[in-house]
Amino acid sequence: MSDHDLPNDEIRRELREIDALQRSSMPGFGAAVRRLFGDAAYSTADQSNAVLGGLSRRNVLRIGGVTILGGAVLAACGSSTAKSVSTSAAAGTTARSTAVTEAGKSTTTAAAGATGDVLILRTASSIEELAVAVYQTAIDSGLVKTAAIGDAAKLFQAQHKEHSALFQAQTKAAGGTPFTMPNPAIFAAIKPAVAALKDEAGILALALELETVAAQTYQSNVGTFTDLKLNAAIMTVGGVEARHAAVLAGVLKQVQVPKAFQVTDKATKPGTGV
Amino acid sequence: MDITEAHLRSLTKEVDEQHRDGMAHLPEQIAELHRGEGRRLLAPPRPGTLIGTSLVVGALTLPLAAAMRAYAADSGDGGVAAFAESVELAAVEAYKAAAGSGKVTTPAVLEAATMFAGHHAEHAAAFGAAAGSAATKKPNPKLLDAVAGQLKGAADQAAILKIAFDLENAAAATYVFALGALTSKAALQLTASILPVEAQHAVVLGTVLGLPGTAYLPSFETATAAVTPDKFPIG
Repeated sequence: MSDHDLPNDEIRRELREIDALQRSSMPGFGAAVRRLFGDAAYSTADQSNAVLGGLSRRNVLRIGGVTILGGAVLAACGSSTAKSVSTSAAAGTTARSTAVTEAGKSTTTAAAGATGDVLILRTASSIEELAVAVYQTAIDSGLVKTAAIGDAAKLFQAQHKEHSALFQAQTKAAGGTPFTMPNPAIFAAIKPAVAALKDEAGILALALELETVAAQTYQSNVGTFTDLKLNAAIMTVGGVEARHAAVLAGVLKQVQVPKAFQVTDKATKPGTGV
Repeated sequence: MDITEAHLRSLTKEVDEQHRDGMAHLPEQIAELHRGEGRRLLAPPRPGTLIGTSLVVGALTLPLAAAMRAYAADSGDGGVAAFAESVELAAVEAYKAAAGSGKVTTPAVLEAATMFAGHHAEHAAAFGAAAGSAATKKPNPKLLDAVAGQLKGAADQAAILKIAFDLENAAAATYVFALGALTSKAALQLTASILPVEAQHAVVLGTVLGLPGTAYLPSFETATAAVTPDKFPIG
């Protein structure tokens, strides 16, 4: 696998420009919400386009020879996760895991009295924050050797930040306290997998698993909201996670559209870890 | 093409097998629509729902399409499901027309198109079942006309794929709208299980076309490109 053919210099230049543009256009949640509503003036389309210049089909498929990791990394992160995770399990030796655990503790009380909608939204933002953290781990790991994949990770991470902002705002709107940290239960479950990462293929497989969990979780939430408006809102994110999964699956040479109907066997139950 | 035909064909085969596995549960899901909570699909919308309101996210408001709102108010979830059925059947016919146009020259692309058409046929069947007596079992005539005209004018395989790509994104956008209008759990869950699949179809087509990522990786799904009953009545 070689990245010599990728326009790395151009991508990096564009990334700098994008970063500057994004910083200037992302003063707060308002910008993210305006994106949600398709306001072209605030769209990240151009930014994404530039970032993904190296993730065209040509480049994605050129790196498609990676070995697919066996098994579902996050198989244990479904509905059973909440039962299996304890504070001690979440407590790790790294600062990140400690922070996650503390977040889980500190918000438990707030969650206790939460309505169903709030619980779903808090779980959703926790999943998004976990995705942000995992992509950051991947970016920092040094294991991502292909520039296009690194750029994709940054784009996906940026989108997960926007998704988290949406869910946190919705939590507030529903009268709850937003959950702002990576989901401690899922974090504990994937910690061994994260620690065992040794190459780009492993990172891609983990990312695919996480995106799949997110997509299926949001689908599973539809129809359970008290506030019916949230059914559409959560799927504006769920559809994008499914797109992320399709891209990652393509890079891994896995099936990009596994079924005619998306299933929810990997969905995380509301309240898990939050 | 950078993706090999053999690889695409292999993926198509795998998808088809998984797809058939997934189909095993469809009859019981459809039965649930009629015998279980989904019975309300066939009834007028209950009061105090989204009908006649807007989708408010945070402090901002996403107006539901007036047409979809009015349509749902008049016909209930069954009417919305019937509309979705017509959109899916139009997609099936569009893929058939594309396959028969002689312009799709890559066998693997043809196989992928056939597979996607199969997905849409299943979606149509599910929506049709959800629609009950409101189902028309006919493709949306205006949508089909519009797409057929585009297909006729398409110069080559890439142009055909771009039409399919737009159609898939339009379907995903339509379901964002539908999710804001539907009220029954069964209809909502059915729609939520289909929206991501249309989005993934778009990703596949976008990557095969070599489109920039921005074309198929938005930050959020939106309803911007939605097909609406006012412009595309089911007839």
